[in-house]
Amino acid sequence: MTVQLFATCLGDLVFPTAVADAEALLREAGHEVVFPRQQICCGQPAYNAGHRSAARRVARTFARAFAPDLPVVVPSGSCATMLSHYLPELVGCEPYDVWELSAFLDQHGADLPRRNDGRVVAYHDSCHMLRELRIADAPRRLLQRSGAEVRDLPRPDLCCGFGGTFSTRQPEVSVAMADDKLAGAAGVVALVTADPGCLMQLSGRTARTGGPRVLHLATALARGVDAN
Amino acid sequence: MSTRTDFRRAARVALHDEHAQAALATGTSRLRDGRLVAWGEAGDIAGLRERGRQIRTATIADLDRHLETFERSLSARGGVVHRTRTAEEAAATVVSICRQANAHLVAKSKSMATEEIELNRALEAAGLEVVETDLGEYLMQIRGEHPEHIVAPAIKLTRTEAAEALGVEPEMDLVMRAAREQLRTVFQTADVGVTGANFAVAETGSICLVTNEGNADLVTALPRVHVVVLGMERLVPTLAELAPLLRLLASSATGERLTTYTTLLTGPRRQDEADGPEELHVVVIDNGRSGLRGTRYEEMLNCIRCGACLNVCPVYRKTGGTTYSDVYSGPMGAVLVPLLSSLEREAALPHASSLCGACTEACPVGIPLHELLLELRRDLVDRGIGSRLERVGFTVWSWAWSSVIGYRITTTLARLARPLGALAGPGRIWSHGRALPRLSRRFRDRR
Repeated sequence: MTVQLFATCLGDLVFPTAVADAEALLREAGHEVVFPRQQICCGQPAYNAGHRSAARRVARTFARAFAPDLPVVVPSGSCATMLSHYLPELVGCEPYDVWELSAFLDQHGADLPRRNDGRVVAYHDSCHMLRELRIADAPRRLLQRSGAEVRDLPRPDLCCGFGGTFSTRQPEVSVAMADDKLAGAAGVVALVTADPGCLMQLSGRTARTGGPRVLHLATALARGVDAN
Repeated sequence: MSTRTDFRRAARVALHDEHAQAALATGTSRLRDGRLVAWGEAGDIAGLRERGRQIRTATIADLDRHLETFERSLSARGGVVHRTRTAEEAAATVVSICRQANAHLVAKSKSMATEEIELNRALEAAGLEVVETDLGEYLMQIRGEHPEHIVAPAIKLTRTEAAEALGVEPEMDLVMRAAREQLRTVFQTADVGVTGANFAVAETGSICLVTNEGNADLVTALPRVHVVVLGMERLVPTLAELAPLLRLLASSATGERLTTYTTLLTGPRRQDEADGPEELHVVVIDNGRSGLRGTRYEEMLNCIRCGACLNVCPVYRKTGGTTYSDVYSGPMGAVLVPLLSSLEREAALPHASSLCGACTEACPVGIPLHELLLELRRDLVDRGIGSRLERVGFTVWSWAWSSVIGYRITTTLARLARPLGALAGPGRIWSHGRALPRLSRRFRDRR
């Protein structure tokens, strides 16, 4: 089918290769991918900080850029939550058919090449994806289908400490939360997440302290956890 | 309610305390695991939670009537109800009851409502001696500290610290024995016993108290006068409706089917009874609660103070309770403290959360805690409280990101300025402990 890809601002700016990997996976599964050129951001950074008018102004760009009649696929659990749960009410539009990437691939995917045979990984649930979208099995199932052994983190329910502006309002607590998360992932080759926010937080921390490789689910599936 | 104005500084202190970090992680996990096991064994937990939510919501919607019924029922049983508006008025009422009773020594059973009205300070200022009789609370009182958790006040203390407070060797048996001996005299000689109330039943005029140490039973049975400090929202219309709430409270707070000592007290001692107080006073506190009624925060009055949200909160797990306030903490505290005191003064609390939603998921009576935190953040912006710089920043950002050209210009500038990013603003704060993300060629420019 034809899907619209929403790169998200963090994806476009900070993790462009992960978005490219997401696009490759969608094509590999036989879908046609369109990239609406006018897309920018869903407005979530301002929305979650309480700045509703600023959020609305930015969220309108989404409603202008995307067609209402084609599914939207997003390689971010928290942006998918913003789009499906909050954006329609915020900008006053009809709800879109929004899919978080792993949920879409799980439902509409073809066979995944076994790019992670024998690799031991852990999957980090992003909070919005876990609690608001209720997507926990799909990303794990995809990783297993790619050949990986998926280890459980000791407390998968605990946030990694990103939380948007929380990460800079309470930097010490935020970093301590990341450390707890990373400590639980000791012994795996890669810590995989489906959210650019968590990815920025956890990889930003491991860049300073060392630890497992942190990468986006799309990269892990499209090129394997050892990809450069 | 005395509170922390600088959450970040207080959090830093907690983070540097290795013992506290270990104790908080263990303590909250133990309570959380207990709840999950108890919920698993409860049968239809979803149904029970929904029933609890309905009872609480319906009660709050008709609170005035239930309060009148309660007052009538209790008066008929010989109890006295004192309605108070402010924390000061409530504390002064308790002080005057103690004075009339010619009291010297007051024995207390753990109560967050009395913490909220800073009762101990008021009683001590009036020349009375006050002793906490819940073990954890007693230890915190000796150490001159406030409760760290609404259910487990001494959650942060190690065994060694507990033993030090009581002047014994660090063996749990010795700690317990010392506390028992020290507190027994207090129970026997106190003139007034002060408790809170987990619930108050309107139809019967009963006060319901739950403890796992039985200390509330001694505090209410032995002294001549019993004073209850009752949050006005803790009403339950009937005994039939109390039952599901007790099950929810016990399972959510400590993972029990029913709390070890669950006591219903109805009026002072009657002529044919062997024990119980001669006088029973119930001081009903409002202290800002009425202001929540009819607002989008009304659901916060449904809270049954089980602490389940504290035990799952990743922020509380790192900071402990007194980082939030001297009374309420964790997600419920971050919502309630600004609402009961002042949003201006407590502007940090709505932001003391990553909005992960674990609290909402854990709340037995379905309070959407993380959504209320977001609602408070909006109030901060709408009322012009908080950082002006942040407001200007988001406004400029939103205009720039209203068009692709504006997005391109600002993000190109950001990329060029990246080497300076760690020097100022959010970039500098982020870089404290984390690498700044690299802005490479945009995805849209690679396609």
